[in-house]
Amino acid sequence: MRKWIPYLLLIPTFVIIVLFIYIPAGFSLQTSLYRVLPFGRGMNYVGIKNFMRLFSNADYIYSVKFTIIYVALTVISTILLSFLIAIQLIKKLPGVRLFRTLIFAPYAVSPAIAGALWTFMLNPVVGHISYFFQSTFGIQVEWLTSKPHAFYAIIFASIWKILPFDMIFYIASIQNVPGEMLESAKIEGAGVMQRTWKIIFPLVSPITFYLVIMNIVTTMFSSFAIIDVMTKGGPGQYTTNMIYRLYLDGFYFQKQGVASAQSIILISIMIIVTLIYFKFGERHVHYQ
Amino acid sequence: MKKIIFVTLFVTLLLISSSVFAADKTEVQFWHAMGGWRIELLQEMANDFMALHPDINVDVQYTGSYGDTINKLNVAIQSGVAPHVVQGYDIATQMLIDGEVAIPMQDLIDADPEFDIGTFMPQVLNYYRVGGKLYCMPFNSSNAVMFYNRTLFEKAGLDPDKPPKTYKELYEYSKMLTTKDDKGNVEQAGVCWNLHCWFFEEFMAKQNAALVDNDNGRTGRPTKAIFNSDAGLKVFNMWNNLSKDGYMINTKVHDWTGSRNLFISQKVAMLITSTSDVALMVKSAEENNFELGSAFMPIPEGAEAGGVVIGGGSLWMVAGKPEEETKAAWEFVKFMAESAQQIKWHTGTGYFPVRKDAVEDLLAQGYYSESPHNLTTIMQLLLSTQNYNSNGAIIGAFAEVRNAVESNVQKMLNGDLTPEEALAAAEKDCTTAIRDYEGL
Repeated sequence: MRKWIPYLLLIPTFVIIVLFIYIPAGFSLQTSLYRVLPFGRGMNYVGIKNFMRLFSNADYIYSVKFTIIYVALTVISTILLSFLIAIQLIKKLPGVRLFRTLIFAPYAVSPAIAGALWTFMLNPVVGHISYFFQSTFGIQVEWLTSKPHAFYAIIFASIWKILPFDMIFYIASIQNVPGEMLESAKIEGAGVMQRTWKIIFPLVSPITFYLVIMNIVTTMFSSFAIIDVMTKGGPGQYTTNMIYRLYLDGFYFQKQGVASAQSIILISIMIIVTLIYFKFGERHVHYQ
Repeated sequence: MKKIIFVTLFVTLLLISSSVFAADKTEVQFWHAMGGWRIELLQEMANDFMALHPDINVDVQYTGSYGDTINKLNVAIQSGVAPHVVQGYDIATQMLIDGEVAIPMQDLIDADPEFDIGTFMPQVLNYYRVGGKLYCMPFNSSNAVMFYNRTLFEKAGLDPDKPPKTYKELYEYSKMLTTKDDKGNVEQAGVCWNLHCWFFEEFMAKQNAALVDNDNGRTGRPTKAIFNSDAGLKVFNMWNNLSKDGYMINTKVHDWTGSRNLFISQKVAMLITSTSDVALMVKSAEENNFELGSAFMPIPEGAEAGGVVIGGGSLWMVAGKPEEETKAAWEFVKFMAESAQQIKWHTGTGYFPVRKDAVEDLLAQGYYSESPHNLTTIMQLLLSTQNYNSNGAIIGAFAEVRNAVESNVQKMLNGDLTPEEALAAAEKDCTTAIRDYEGL
């Protein structure tokens, strides 16, 4: 009796996961080996030809490289920034609660709307940011249509979007750092920098560990909307990352087979990164 | 107890009402890709149809951009929930034919003695006929046209009655219309069109040049792109020179709104856009106090006379529906192609009427003398040479072809590639896409 109750309770979740994750994933694996014709006209088995063509395609290789740089820069900057801001936000200053609420807003905005917002602010003619740059520095920047500015714009918007999520976690965990520990460190003569990086940062490392993985997933898979709205992968595929390339092939050119192959590559990279990260990253995590 | 009675009553009422509707009316679903004020315009037209045919209910749904609509259709066909009538865009023609999703319009026309395809504009039919057969009903047709700000022309000392006709004039005019501040920042630019391969296609056809082999895919399936020609280079050079010297503002890919706003806010003096914007431009010019001018697309000096290619969309009837529903859908498609509806659509948007009798009626009513910009657009189409080049290319992988051209143009504008290199790379990428689609 007792033994099968947990299984019974797991059934609904399991059914949903199988229906919406494992079956489609299996289907992707299958179609990645086929040339799929649009409108269900049929599919021809091509073996690993889809993968071979992707690896010999310079544009695709570029999108892989771009994804790595984009993910690395975004995740590292977000983690550092959110940690530093969180430290400021746990101080007992007047208005800090209001500030915390306000700074959380970007997370609540949908990525497509965030993209539209930035597109407007970065518009070379009527955008606020462009106006600021023009009136202060006297330079006219085409943020979304020129190199390397389109890259900066995408990175900036992505960081702005994920930052609040990380910050909330850091605020909660930094508040859990024992006050006695910091106080005794202070008495022993440890400066602000030492206390921050030698005590607080190691103590919140389990949270950092979790956030890094979450941020990698977000930037790899959910960056689609921001890129689609802000640059459409341009100028000239300059900001086309793997997920946007997948969208173009799958939903714009109606090449389902090639797109499935890309999703398999994407998920493989994600699995490898996670495995390596768990193997080597966890050594530096201090669980209290 | 009261609650139970109430619920039972409610459910029975619901059942009765739904069965009444289901029994009486034939449902026709119509998916379209016309955003903005055109959503209401299409709904109005559907309402007019339902008033005439009380036994048919047309469910009009806006399904996002042209690309999104095709994408949605692709999924819907495979899961058996496709609409009866769908608006497909120009470049999806071959893909939809290959997909065998639709009843060829020709078959329905041949079976209906009432319907006379001879009243349709030959320019429009030439575009949509593939291998001599009409697969869809022409509905919203447009092409590229130039609008210019007569007020800014006067300010710059240019004659507003003489818009630029050649690339050389376009460059010189743009130079005169561009103003920069003391730091060299552009305050007002000469010309703008949004970064879209469609304009490249129109610029090519105006020079009587083809995009792909086998007569632009009209006499056989295309096997390669052939636009790396003298004509292609002229377009790329013109585009590059205007941008490099700051006389042209480039938007991001497919940013129609962005380019329109630059023109409406008088940040650029000339705009090349779709003829479907006529109504919007006339209204915007009035609101922003400037005088609007319209002109044909410019061509290089001494270029061969070509023409503009039809763009826009057409109505496709999805196959495999019950006979009664197909009949109702055919009635709706016929209605939308009627002269009265085409006039309403033409005057409300700027898309051409696809019928000769609609143009005749409008001429008789004096419409074109009051709306000179609509006259410009329709004259540009009527004065176009009709051949395979101006009939437009038929390519299955058109979406990918466009993407290849656009991304190489962007590389050129960013200085990564010279116009020669960009054109060669674009042609190579397009050939790859075509061969991939054709399974070569």
